[in-house]
Amino acid sequence: MNGRLIPPGDGVPLCFRRVSVGYGDRTVVREASFDVRPGEFVGLVGPNGAGKSTLLRAVTGGAEVKMGDITAGDSVVRLHERERARLIGVVPQSQPSVFAFTARAFVEMGRHAHLGRLESLRPEDHAVVGEVMERTDTARLADERVDELSGGDLQRLTLAQALAQQPRVLLLDEPTSHLDLNHALQVLDLVRSLADGGMAVLGVFHDLGIAARYADRISIVAEGGVLPPRAPAEALDAATISQVFGVRAVVRTDPVTGTVAITPVLRGEDIARAESGMRVGLVCGSGTGASLMRQLVLAGHSVACGALNRGDVDQAVAEALGARLVELPPFGEMDETAVAEVAESFSEVCCIVVCPTPFGRANLPNLHAAVTSGRPLILMGDMGPDRDFAGGEARRLWNEAVSHGAVQARSEADALVELERCRAEKG
Amino acid sequence: MTASSERNRHALTLVGLAIALAAAIIAGVAFGAVSLPPGEVLGAVSRALSGHGSTLADALVVDLRLPRVLLAALVGASLALAGVLYQALFKNPLADPYILGVSSGAGLGATLSLSLLGTSYLARAVGVPLGAFAGALLTMLLVVRLASRRGRLDPTSLLLAGIAISYTLSAITSFVLVFDRESMTSVVYWMMGGLGNRSWEHVATLGAMLAAGSMVPLLFHRELDLMLLGDERAGQLGVAVERFKLLALGSASLVVAGAVSVSGLIGFVGLMTPHMVRLVVGPRHRLLLPASALAGAIVLVVADLLARIVLAPVEIPVGIVTALAGGPFFVWLLVRKERSR
Repeated sequence: MNGRLIPPGDGVPLCFRRVSVGYGDRTVVREASFDVRPGEFVGLVGPNGAGKSTLLRAVTGGAEVKMGDITAGDSVVRLHERERARLIGVVPQSQPSVFAFTARAFVEMGRHAHLGRLESLRPEDHAVVGEVMERTDTARLADERVDELSGGDLQRLTLAQALAQQPRVLLLDEPTSHLDLNHALQVLDLVRSLADGGMAVLGVFHDLGIAARYADRISIVAEGGVLPPRAPAEALDAATISQVFGVRAVVRTDPVTGTVAITPVLRGEDIARAESGMRVGLVCGSGTGASLMRQLVLAGHSVACGALNRGDVDQAVAEALGARLVELPPFGEMDETAVAEVAESFSEVCCIVVCPTPFGRANLPNLHAAVTSGRPLILMGDMGPDRDFAGGEARRLWNEAVSHGAVQARSEADALVELERCRAEKG
Repeated sequence: MTASSERNRHALTLVGLAIALAAAIIAGVAFGAVSLPPGEVLGAVSRALSGHGSTLADALVVDLRLPRVLLAALVGASLALAGVLYQALFKNPLADPYILGVSSGAGLGATLSLSLLGTSYLARAVGVPLGAFAGALLTMLLVVRLASRRGRLDPTSLLLAGIAISYTLSAITSFVLVFDRESMTSVVYWMMGGLGNRSWEHVATLGAMLAAGSMVPLLFHRELDLMLLGDERAGQLGVAVERFKLLALGSASLVVAGAVSVSGLIGFVGLMTPHMVRLVVGPRHRLLLPASALAGAIVLVVADLLARIVLAPVEIPVGIVTALAGGPFFVWLLVRKERSR
């Protein structure tokens, strides 16, 4: 029920036509061209200082439109302030509250553009204010003073104030930056339902996962330009994230929400040193090696992790980190070529860590390649019946390794200590 | 809280202030070097209104004390109104016509008009208020310009620029007076802020200027509320910010010019009054504006009464009384603001 929050009548698209915006003689974003259609929620993401907020502020005159045009029906720079306020609502990043208005009075200010010069609030205005406060979960704050509220409460009141304008276009600048998890989801669900009801929504987000989950399309703002909005899964792939943010990330589909989920693994700058370390082999799978892999890469080592199935967590992390691996199709088994490739990659490492992954027919060749490689082995955990699903074969290989002098490690920390010892002995 | 109970509370506040003002005015007229019983004051006023009787006491009341006290009320209301406007437009709780240098600007404008146009009736009735208005407006624009960096107004710079400009303009005023020794004594006394020897003519001039200057603030009280959220936010919510600022600063300059041209430089009423009133009625201008005007009137009527009776028959300029109370108040606000950072 979006009752009074969405005014009756047709939606209005927000269109950027080759827009350059900035302040004074500085141009921050050049040649931005994209549309936000009625009923659509577009997310703007990008590094700090790229100009996301500047682009939003330009719509309501807070930054200068130097070239091109922004239209919401009519060109926004030609709109009278009152008209514009009835059409476009804004939730800015932060709001100072110098004087002690009550929360209700604060939200009522959103009705300004709907009231005549000598008019005071009419019953319909009170109804709108009541509804937006209800929907933003701020009704219980009505008689509190805004200068005594928390940042989160103030942020939701600011959204309520913007919705009290009954806008057809809604601009959000990190609307959840001060909110706890529950309120953040509540606000985003509300915004999503407003978009579904016909509002055109453009929001700046720092959290890529939030943007991917709620926006229909995502546009990336970087290096003074704006990429055209695309579906989240297309806009936010690992290569783009690495290029735009300089962060290696695992990008996959979240099994619960079905949307793109992004796990940053490490910063690109930290990888730059990777060449200086040693090569380490890893027998892993199902996430048993992800954390160790990350630590090894951070410490400057390069990693080879045998064969892994696509969709496996360790496979995704290995890909994000640029580790060497032999990729298998989902649930696929290793053929001769794969076995040979793994054997070759393990022959070049100075030490191999066997992570506490269980073994079955499919991944047993990895363990086999490790044990027969002749490299020093570090075995993590114990090889009990809960780990050997290869009919005793894994246990046999394990015992063979132990008899040839493999060391055992209880934890990742132990494994890292053993690795250093291994390097020192070689060194 | 329902809308109607809020309206009732507002009405009650204003009626209470109006009654207090009436009482202050009667007291202001009754007490002085020669004191009269309050009944006598009302009698004299009603006899003057009905056109008969003119005892010596009646003349004292109607020709001397009443215009003076009413003038004090109008000056106090004007300064408080200007203080509310400046505090809202600059989002600065320390703003006031005296501290921003606007009073000095109006003073210089008025002094120049007096020196150039002489002391004919027309010069005093039209030239001085006009000169004061021009001085006030130009000073305001200059101070805002000095305190702005790339379109942003820095609150500390605003106060510093205001105080610096205020001293400079006062010095220029003194400089003008060195060349115009004839009017020096009276102008110096006037610059200190005094309400002595004022007539109904002054009451009419200031009354007209205050009425004109109140139009914008009373019609645009919602815009003033919105301005407290910052210029950009006010614009997003539908205020034509630049145009409104000019209108409101013009109105403030007009009432300050009116106050200064009849009573000289009276400080701190515009600073203290809105703060005290805000504590009671809250920040919304619909109520804050009229309540501050009434309270400002009360403050200055009482201050003027004190100025007349503390060292009677010697009279202290009322500006000294307000500065004695307002200086410490300003320091207290400044300290509190620093601590809350």
